[in-house]
Amino acid sequence: MLDIKSLSASIDGKKILDGFDLKIKPGEVHAIMGPNGSGKSTLANVLTGKNGYEIEGQVLYQGKDLLNLPIEERAQKGLFMAFQYPLEIAGVNTNNFLKTSLNTIRKVRGQKEVDSLDFLKLVKTKTNNLKIDEKILNRQLNVGFSGGEKKKNEILQMTILEPKLAILDETDSGLDIDALRIVSEGVNALRSKERSFLIITHYQRLLDYIKPDFVHVLVDGKIAKTGCGDLALELEKVGYKEMGAIK
Amino acid sequence: MPYIENKNSSSNIEHEATTSKISEEQLFYCNQRGLNQEEAIGLIVNGFCKEVLQQLPMEFAVEAQKLVGISLEGSVG
Repeated sequence: MLDIKSLSASIDGKKILDGFDLKIKPGEVHAIMGPNGSGKSTLANVLTGKNGYEIEGQVLYQGKDLLNLPIEERAQKGLFMAFQYPLEIAGVNTNNFLKTSLNTIRKVRGQKEVDSLDFLKLVKTKTNNLKIDEKILNRQLNVGFSGGEKKKNEILQMTILEPKLAILDETDSGLDIDALRIVSEGVNALRSKERSFLIITHYQRLLDYIKPDFVHVLVDGKIAKTGCGDLALELEKVGYKEMGAIK
Repeated sequence: MPYIENKNSSSNIEHEATTSKISEEQLFYCNQRGLNQEEAIGLIVNGFCKEVLQQLPMEFAVEAQKLVGISLEGSVG
C-alpha cells in the first residue's frame, strides 16, 4: 500500500523528517506517536502533498511514485487525510461540498455520479451509523462548528469517500470521551482487508478504542522504536524521555 | 473594474468593495478532497459571493453565478 524510503523533509531550511522509513500493507493500522515537534504532522502533510516542503527520498503508493502527483490526484487515488484543524469555508454548504468531492472521486474511478436523492440517502445512513446530527450537513462547511463537530465531520467525509489509505492527523486531540468513541467507531467500521490507516496521535487513549497492528515512536524525524499496541501503554506510563526515545 | 452609471444629477453615490485572498490552507483542504485548483477556487469564490447573490432576483442570481464561473476560467496558475 505505502512504502516510504529514507524520506527527508525540510521547511525553511530546517530538517523535520530525517531518513524516515515505513511500510504499510493493505489492511494494516499503524499508529505514530511522538512528542511535539517530532515531525508527525509534517509526515501527513508530505504524504498528502502540501506545498512548502523540500523533500528527498521516495514514497511508493500502490507501487507507484507518490511524491510527483498533484494533491488532488493523490486524493482521487484514495489517499485521505482527516485534518488536525479542518478548514472553515464560508458560504459553502457542507452537503454540497461532500457531494462534489464524492462525485469528483467517483468520476475518476469510472463510477457513476451519485444524484442528490441517492446522496441524501447515503448521508442519512452514514450519519445515523456514526451518531452524527445530520443538521451539520446543512451548515456552511465547518463554519461555527465546535471542535468535536469538525472532527466528526472529517470522519463522516472519510466514511463517505471510502479511501484506500486514511491518515488521521491528531483527530483525537480536543475530543471528549463521547466524541472520541464516535470517531473510533467510525474508523473501526471502515477497517477492512484492503484499507489501511495511519493514525497520528499524542495519546494512548485513542488506541484503547482503535487497536493498531503497529505502534511507532517518532523522534527527531525518524522512527525510534516500533512495537505492537503495548508500546503505546508503556509510553503512556513512562513518557518519551524515560523510554530513551529522547536524548 | 466595476462602474456605476447614474442618471440622477442630484444623487450622491458611493462604492465599496472587499477583496480577500483565498487561503492556501483552504485550497489544500479542497484539493485533499479530490477537487482540482480550478474547481476549488470556483467553489470558494461562489461561497464567498453567495450571500449577495442570494439577494438578487432568481434570473440574475443564476446568471451571476455563471459569470463568476466564466471569469474564473483559466485564471488559475
